[in-house]
Amino acid sequence: MSERKVNAGFGRVLIVIYAVFALAASARSFSQIVTRFDEAPVAYLLSALAALIYIVATIALARGDRTSRTVATVAIGIELGGVLTVGVASLLAPEAFPSASVWSGFGSGYLFIPLVLPIVGLWWLHRTRPMPGS
Amino acid sequence: MTGPYATVVIVASLLLALWCGVLLIANRPPNRPLWVGLGLLEALLIGFLGWGLASMLARTTDFARLEFALYLLGVAAIVPLAGWWIRAEKSRAAAAVLLVVLLVVPVMVVRVQQVWASV
Repeated sequence: MSERKVNAGFGRVLIVIYAVFALAASARSFSQIVTRFDEAPVAYLLSALAALIYIVATIALARGDRTSRTVATVAIGIELGGVLTVGVASLLAPEAFPSASVWSGFGSGYLFIPLVLPIVGLWWLHRTRPMPGS
Repeated sequence: MTGPYATVVIVASLLLALWCGVLLIANRPPNRPLWVGLGLLEALLIGFLGWGLASMLARTTDFARLEFALYLLGVAAIVPLAGWWIRAEKSRAAAAVLLVVLLVVPVMVVRVQQVWASV
């Protein structure tokens, strides 16, 4: 495997999954906030934050240069923290999350992909890290 | 909404996904017949978009119109976007990208139907 680019090969597949989540989370939170924001403002703002992070991660992974790699690492780190925090919180205090966000129940509404995705993302960033001197 | 038509879209997408799965295992990039199949699927999806928007405008009862329209537009856009994304990818990753998208299409079609059915 001589492939070292973050946005080629397997990276291309990873970015598509990120893009799908960016799209799904954006569409969902957009319609939630526009149509029924007052029902559960915290949950809906969280949905919007998740959407934003997926968008940033998608673009940063797709660009793939050195700065973008840093941006992607931070975004995916926040994503992992978010899915774990919201996952635990939604189990401990389900009444605070009346309407599901992508991260509720560790992403159980999305086949737990939201939980696996940041781990795979960080692994891929690590695997494709620039070699010293390059 | 549009029961049999939606079923045809779902089955077509899953068959193409299976095809991509075979290419992925065989370590091959998408071939011309697959692109033809994707073109046919996209034609079905554009039909679905038109039919859905027309149904939405004709419907007088309340439902989540914005969500409905967003899903319809998304499902029509996703296949061409995937094609654009893998235009330079010569490895089997191209087949994997299409596999992901072709599994997302049925989910989105089901969501369109759910939004249509919910009040």
